[in-house]
Amino acid sequence: MRLHVLPLLACAAATAVAQAPQFAPPVRLKAGDAFLGENRLYPSPVLHDLDGDGRVDVVVGDLVGVLTVAPRANAAAGAPAYEPETKVLAADGKQLDFDNW
Amino acid sequence: MSPQFVDFDADGQLDVVAGIFDGSPHLSRGSRQGWQKPEQILGRDGARIVLNAFWNFDTKKWDSTHAYDAPGHEGEAHATSTLAFDVDGDGDLDLLLGDHKSGRVFWRRNDGAPGKPAFDLVNQPVTAAGAPIDVQGTVATMRLVDWNGDGKQDLACGSMGGSFGDGDGGGVWVWPNVGDGKVAAWGAPIELIARSKQDHVGDAPARPDAGLYMDFGDVDGDGDLDLLVGAYSHWRASPKPLDAAQQERATALQAALKDCDARFQQVLKEVNDGLGDAAGAARDKLYTERYQARQSDFRAIGVDRSAAQKELDKLVPPRQRKSFVWLYENLAAKKNAAPAK
Repeated sequence: MRLHVLPLLACAAATAVAQAPQFAPPVRLKAGDAFLGENRLYPSPVLHDLDGDGRVDVVVGDLVGVLTVAPRANAAAGAPAYEPETKVLAADGKQLDFDNW
Repeated sequence: MSPQFVDFDADGQLDVVAGIFDGSPHLSRGSRQGWQKPEQILGRDGARIVLNAFWNFDTKKWDSTHAYDAPGHEGEAHATSTLAFDVDGDGDLDLLLGDHKSGRVFWRRNDGAPGKPAFDLVNQPVTAAGAPIDVQGTVATMRLVDWNGDGKQDLACGSMGGSFGDGDGGGVWVWPNVGDGKVAAWGAPIELIARSKQDHVGDAPARPDAGLYMDFGDVDGDGDLDLLVGAYSHWRASPKPLDAAQQERATALQAALKDCDARFQQVLKEVNDGLGDAAGAARDKLYTERYQARQSDFRAIGVDRSAAQKELDKLVPPRQRKSFVWLYENLAAKKNAAPAK
């Protein structure tokens, strides 16, 4: 009987964790020496390996409609580190711009 | 806007799909040469996809349409976020549209095929647990994430809240996909980040407060899903004790600010009162003339207000408002009970 009950308990525990995630207190990310997204209008980050180096970068869009990228630094495991933000460029060499209204 | 990297046109290259403030989803196609100039995503009628409110590029004014409302779901929705996702499991990407003015989420069914979209002309409300999704604090952004590790894409939403520190701020929730693995259906939401009270007092911001745009990933490499959240933070430095004279001065300055605001409104009223029955372009021209004629009054009020605010800020720390990107480290893996990535 106990063998049947234990999996059920384990399942219930996993569900409880999924229902109530626990996060560490939030910290502001940095890109180089600057805070990532500071003073952008409604910064919207997305994790994506933009430069194809196998490390996931942070691409940041904003209300204005432009994109920047903070490449993931090649740092030791642990706290994530990012290089300074640069503009995401379009095929014409200009900044990719969704040219808001 | 909140960019989504997805192969929208099924050509094997990732594209960028983004809802922006003009009210429509846009697409920048990826190519071997790089990102192409963004274009509007169109419905099968050839018109740009909108909910209700949109910026009319012809008239250069905000506009609205009810041409695409689902019966019983008329409103004044304004799509500023979008996600490409195969909601109905038919093999092509549909569009989810988030309403910046409310907490509603809609979808446009794609009746086409991969690479040849034909978006339906009705904005269908997205439901969860039998009722339309209603994001507390209105929709800022949406993301797809397999939060509970069951192999299905769950729907996450971040909310706006009071953008300038007014009232409650934003939060983040995830609606688990309880569908059959092909057709999506969403269950009751799980709260990931509670709405902010926007009342932090301290020398530095404590959390993202308003306009929460999030994404998910194993940022610290420990096997669970962390959250990145871009948002405005609102905080106020700890107030210093004021002596009686300082308190009296602060009260006087606060009254002076109110007086400046009242003077501004009075001058503006006088400008408007002189418009009479003028209409259209003639009214616009007359308004501009009358406004410019009172420029010196507006300028004087501005100088007075600025001086009063500057002095008051030295006595009573002002509210700070700045945008950042925050990391919420998921502690699940550390507790050895993670929702799997």
